[in-house]
Order: sequence, then structure tokens, then C-alpha cells
Amino acid sequence: MTRSDTRAEQVLWPLGFGLLVLVLWEVGVRLFGVSPAILPPPSAILAAILSSGPTLWEDWVQTVVKGALNGLWMGTLAALILAVIIDRFVFLKRGLLPVANFFAALPIVGLAPIMVMWFGFDWQSKAAVVAVMVFFPMLVNILGGLAAVDMMQRDLMRTYAASHTQTLLKLRGPAALPFLFNGLKIATSLALIGAIVAEYFGSPIRGMGFRISTEMGRLATDMVWAEIVVSAVTGTALYGIVSAIEKRVTFWHPSQRG
Amino acid sequence: MKNILPIVTIVLALIVIWYGAAFKMNSTWTYDQAARAGTEVTFSDLLRDTMQQSRPLLPAPHQIASELWNTTVEKKITSKRSMVYQGMITLKTTLLGFVFGIVIGVALATVIVLSRVGRLTLMPWAIISQTIPIVALAPIIVVLSNAVGTGTLMVPKAIIAAYLSFYPVLVSMVKGLTSPDQMQLDLLRTYGARQSDVFWKLRLPSSMPYFFASLKVAVAASFVGAVVAELSTSAISGLGARMLIGSQFGEPMIMWAALFAAAILAGLLIFLVGSFEKAARHLMGGRAL
Amino acid sequence: MKKLLTSAAALAAMSSGAFAADDVTLQLKWVTQAQFAGYYVALEKGFYEAEDLNVTIKPGGPDVAPVQVLLGGGADVMVDWMPSALAARENGAPVVNIAQPYKSSGMMLTCLKESGITGPEDFPGKTLGVWFYGNEYPFLSWMGKLGLATDGSEGGVTVLKQGFNVDPLLQKQAACISTMTYNEYWQVIDAGISADDLITFKYEDQGVATLEDGLYVLEDSLSDDAFKDKMARFVKASMAGWTYAAANPEEAAEIVLDYDETGAQTMTHQVRMMTEVAKLLEGSDGSLDVADYERTVASLLSGGSDPVITKEPVGAYTLEITDAAMK
Repeated sequence: MTRSDTRAEQVLWPLGFGLLVLVLWEVGVRLFGVSPAILPPPSAILAAILSSGPTLWEDWVQTVVKGALNGLWMGTLAALILAVIIDRFVFLKRGLLPVANFFAALPIVGLAPIMVMWFGFDWQSKAAVVAVMVFFPMLVNILGGLAAVDMMQRDLMRTYAASHTQTLLKLRGPAALPFLFNGLKIATSLALIGAIVAEYFGSPIRGMGFRISTEMGRLATDMVWAEIVVSAVTGTALYGIVSAIEKRVTFWHPSQRG
Repeated sequence: MKNILPIVTIVLALIVIWYGAAFKMNSTWTYDQAARAGTEVTFSDLLRDTMQQSRPLLPAPHQIASELWNTTVEKKITSKRSMVYQGMITLKTTLLGFVFGIVIGVALATVIVLSRVGRLTLMPWAIISQTIPIVALAPIIVVLSNAVGTGTLMVPKAIIAAYLSFYPVLVSMVKGLTSPDQMQLDLLRTYGARQSDVFWKLRLPSSMPYFFASLKVAVAASFVGAVVAELSTSAISGLGARMLIGSQFGEPMIMWAALFAAAILAGLLIFLVGSFEKAARHLMGGRAL
Repeated sequence: MKKLLTSAAALAAMSSGAFAADDVTLQLKWVTQAQFAGYYVALEKGFYEAEDLNVTIKPGGPDVAPVQVLLGGGADVMVDWMPSALAARENGAPVVNIAQPYKSSGMMLTCLKESGITGPEDFPGKTLGVWFYGNEYPFLSWMGKLGLATDGSEGGVTVLKQGFNVDPLLQKQAACISTMTYNEYWQVIDAGISADDLITFKYEDQGVATLEDGLYVLEDSLSDDAFKDKMARFVKASMAGWTYAAANPEEAAEIVLDYDETGAQTMTHQVRMMTEVAKLLEGSDGSLDVADYERTVASLLSGGSDPVITKEPVGAYTLEITDAAMK
């Protein structure tokens, strides 16, 4: 406990563990002669990634850029606007917060078939599913964040004769940022799940969800795993980007120092 | 309870908006049908038809309420058309996944807290695991469990539920197990306590409030996981499967009823686990976090 | 130790002897419905039992690839369509057709007349709904034959992966969707669109029909004589089930409903389905017609720029089982 971790250790241990799993997987598949239709070896997955770059890219643009990211900003923006509005009215807040909390815990992904029915089979329906999925966790987090300043700080603002808007911009907004980023971290992984599931219910002939279900039917499991790798890398990268922005923007917060 | 009035107002407002949207969205079909039949539609025809279509784009709230009533109270709970029967199956998956999730979460947290290597190795992967869209893995999990010979879909479904629910438990337990401060640890050292004593007598007891607090999040995650699993593994029973089947057989009412049944069940689960958490915290002397 | 061995031997003798019937697990291609009535009838009416078989039927669904269940050891025999079975064979899953109860194809493309489509020459520029998950091959080879691109390029068609229902047609998201004569077509009709407003293209009429529901097993398992004998009995009892089901559609539909775990199927729809399915069975005694097989293969090989299979399959069917079953 006394020794602090060096940068190298922080990278090498998890990396080594990952490599070990891959090696065991490769050896296991070869040793037991597992059919590639059930579980392909990592080498075959790598080969699939290298040989189908254009397809993977096209699927990635369709699902991540058009579906997930569009839905993410729409849902987040809607939650932000609504949060700021209802924050002004105590009555609305008291009524909406429990309702939003309830919705945030629901399997909203079940709306996917309905959204496909409403918005067509292209990316619009996927973005709609994602927007609804991220909306409630974002709303709950932002509202929680806006309430996260204590009475003393608020009183201080009042002694400055600050208006509601000024208090919001200078004090409560910044104080809510850590909560907002917390919500964003949850939202990014929800966004990918939503965009992929929605493609199972009808899609154009590209997209990660489309490819996964189609290639599964063709027994081309190397391609299925290639898409899984892409989705995992995307999810991790999105999380990393949100964390990096968070670090820059909320450098003053205790959780970022220490 | 001063929140009752605002909540009721909001819910009523939502229902009114809903009726308006149902009228608007379902009218296209009414017009199309009339055009095919070559008849005119009056406003009262339109109003009547949009509120009672059998395949509406958006069913009116009373249609969903009556479908829910029909499939819960009016049906025997052993009937496959009963939402109670289907809900029980989802509940079973949820609880199994919840238990798996707790066991895995606590076990990993213990390893991470007790061993430096464990922490360095596992913690990044635990975070990465949650950024992987689990649905992408669903077909693979089904095939692999089939190949191992589990027979039913219960195990793969529970694995998917556990995959989502172990993480909140893990994070809270790591926080909880490391919550004793240096002073407390030093005190135990002066007693000559062994590592295992420190764990059992200090770390574990002090992690309990954190543990109970994580359960509510974990059960909600497990429930979402169970429904997602039923949606993406071709399960034939369970609420998620009802949504799929409703879509498959072109019976949107089944889908909507399943969606609302899922909402009600999720609400109940979270309420129950929340009450359990409160009771447990009360028993432990009301120690706040 | 010796005693243990003897009792183990006794157990082995019992399980292969007259006491216990042979276990067979059948994996269906889709959910429980009259499309598979023959198997359910054979089970319910005791035809399997009479052949000393203990049969378990596993329904499929949108995300189940029967081949994978077979490979994973979850089933002994599966119902699959020949295009996806042959594609799987080329991808390293050695499956073999042992029987072909369905003689003709029930696949169609159903279009709204108001979309302006009167024949295949009107397809360019239109959006067509297709099932994927192994069911896209007949469509792709048809488009290949028409010379229409399916990748969204100029002068081709826009392909939409349709879900599991007929919504894309009802919501006018597609000009045409894939339907089966015995299932989705009637969902469109039930939704309130009259047959006069529709125009359909049967794959049979377009000369691009491929063989549908057949029985497939893994190639390795066929080297075992006991397994072959078991399959011969299975096919014989199944065909008896099909004959009975075709002659008694009402009763067959009722049996299917009893086994339907979703509780979402209706009697009217299942009786209608059974009646339509009976038409597709006509002319088959269960054995594969080699001419049909060759036509399917030729159609799949000629799939335009992206053929479904790239080389003539070898050993993809055997007549041995049905020959033994007919004896």
C-alpha cells in the first residue's frame, strides 16, 4: 500500500493481462479444435479486422456517428434545457424528479421496435432510441448537480445581489459539471447499446448491429467478433474522451486532484 | 408526501399529451384506409378510429390499461398470455443475474483491495467491460453457453444481467473496503492483528453501508440486462421476449403492455430493494455514508 | 471395482436396449407455428414413439442460427433452408441434407400497388424489404439474375433489412417486403389492406425458387450406423406426421397451438398457414429431388457479383436416409 503505482505499472499490468487472455484463447481454441463457427481464434479476428476495414468503417459511421452520437447530443441537450427550465419552478421539479428517476431505471431499450416503426429504418430511429435512453439519466444527474451547492454559497451569491441567471452561470452551473460528466459516462455506453439493439428491428444494409446479426446467421463469427472489438474500442474511447474533457473542465473539483 | 400533488399533475399532463399524440399519429392510417376504400372521414370518425385501432402507431393510454388488465387480472397466472407469468420469468432471470452480479462484484472488489497486482490488472478491465455494448456479445454468449451444454436460455440471460449488475457492486465495494482510514488500520496493527483479521473485522464491516447502497443500482441494472437479454437472444418467454413477439406478430398491443408491465416490475423491484437497504441501514445504527 | 464395471455395463445395455427410446433433438428454424406442424403432429400423435424415438423439439427465433445449435451439440437434426445451409457448409459447418419435406418455395415479394410497381422492371430505385440472418440469399440471387445492384448504387434497388413483421409495408417505408405465402402475406391482409391493393411476385414464378424447409445433420454423425438408423426412423415418422397434418389442417393447427409457448398465435392464422403449407408439400415424399437441388445450387452460384456460394458443393446431400425410411 505504501508504494505508489508508476505510470509503467498502470499500463503494463492490464496490458499483460489482456495479452495473456488472448494467448490462452488462441491456444485453447487450437488445442481443443473448437469450430470457428462457435469461437474463432484471436488471430482470425485480427485477420477479419485487417481485411474488412472499409466495411467496418461504413458500419461504424452508420451506427456510431449517425445513430449513437446524434442521439447522444439530442438527448443530452434536451435534458439540459429541460433541467434548466424546471429548475426555476419548484413545483415542476418536485413532480418531475421522481417521475424522471423512475424512467431512468426502466429498460427503455424496449422502445426500439416502436421507434423503428415511427421513424423508419435508417439512423433516425436509432438516434431516437438513443436520445430517449440517455435523456433520463442525464436529466436526473443535471438536476442533482444543480442542487449540489450549499446554502452558504448561495447566500454569498445573494449578498452579491446576483440574479437567478448569474447564480446559475457562475455558481450552480460549474458546480453541476461533475454530475453532468458522471451522467455522460453512463450515457455513452447506453448510447452504443441503444444504437446496436435498434438495428436488430430493421435497418439499412449497413451498421454494426446489422452486421452482427447477419454475419452470425452466415456463421462468419470472425466478422462478428471484429464488430465487437470495434464497439469495445469505441466505447472505451468515448469514455476516455469524456474523462479527458472532464479533467480539463473540472480541474478545480476535489475528485480531480488528490 | 408534499410531492404527491406535483407528481400527479405531471403524470396527468403526460397523459393528456399522450392522447393528443395518439390522435395525431394514428390519423394517417385512418386517412390511408379511407382513401383505399374511397370514403370521406369526418372528425368524429377520426376521433373514434384513432382511439381504438388494433395496430396503432401509438395506442391510447386506456387501450394499454385495458390490455394490461386483460393480461394480468383476467388471465390465469399459469397462462402463457399472462403478463404475471411472463414477468415471473424475467424476475427469475433478474434475481439470478443479481446474485451472480453481487458474488462477482464482491469477489473482484476483494481481490482488488487486497492485492496491488489485482488492482492494477483488474480495475481497468472492469471499467472497459462496461463500455462494451453487451448486446453485441449476446449472440456469442448464447452460442457459447449452448456449446458448453447449459441447455436453457436461463444461464446466458442471467450472465448478461450479471454483466451489467456486477459493476455498481464492484465500485461501491472497492470504496467501502478502502473506507477505513489510516488511524483505524494503525490501531489494528498495534493490536497485532493479522491481514485476515483486518479484513474480516474492520474492512468488511465498514464496507456494509456502501454495499447496501449499491444494491438498488445493481438490481435496476440487472433488470435492464434481463430485458435486453430476452430481446437479443430469441428467448420465447419473459417480458423482453413479449416485446419482441409483439413486434414479430404485428401485435403492438402486446408490445406496449409488456413495456408497461416491465416498468411496473422495475418500480416494484427498486422499491423493495430500497426498503431493504433502509431497513439494513437502520439495523446498523443509521450510519450515513 | 469389478462390480462397478458390471453395473455400468448393465446401464449401458439398458440405455441402448428396448427400455429407453433413442433421444432425438430437433432444432427448428423459426418459432412454433404450422410451418413445422408435421413434427409436432408426429410428436403429439405418437408417431415418434412408435418408432422408439424420444423427440424434443426446440423452437427457433430471429437470433437463433440452427446451424450453430447443431454445431454446439444442442441438437441432432435441424430444419433449415438450403441456401443458408449451403452457405454455412462453405463457411466450415459441414451440414448434409437428409430429407426435403417441402417441395416448393413459399417465398414472395409483396408490393403495394400504389408504389407504382407492376413488374420486376419497376424495381430500380425502389426500397425492398428483405430478411437477413441467412434468408437473404434467394433474394440476392434473384437480384443478381435481374442484374440489379443491391449496394445502393445508381440504377439498383435500396435494400432494407426488415424486422420480423410487416410494418415497413404498412408504414410505407418500403415499396415491397418479403413475405411467405403461409405467414406474412396474411399479416398484411389482416392489417386491413385488401389483396386488390397488393401485387406479389412468387419466387417459384420468377424461376429463382430455392429449396426451403429441409432436414439437415452434421456430416460426421452420418458415419455412425446407429445414428443413420435413428434418422431413418425419425424421417419416416416425421413424414407420417406431415401427411396427417396436411389431411387434417384444423387438428394440426390445434396441436401447434398447444405447443406454442408464446401464446401469441391464433387458431385462424394457424389453420390458414397449415392449408398454405400443405400446397408446398405436394409432390414430396420426403426424399430430396436431385433436380431441385441442382437448380438451387445453380441459382446460388449465379448470384451476380457477390454469389452466395463460390464453388459447387460436394456431398451436401444424401439420399441414404430417405431410401432407408421408405423401405
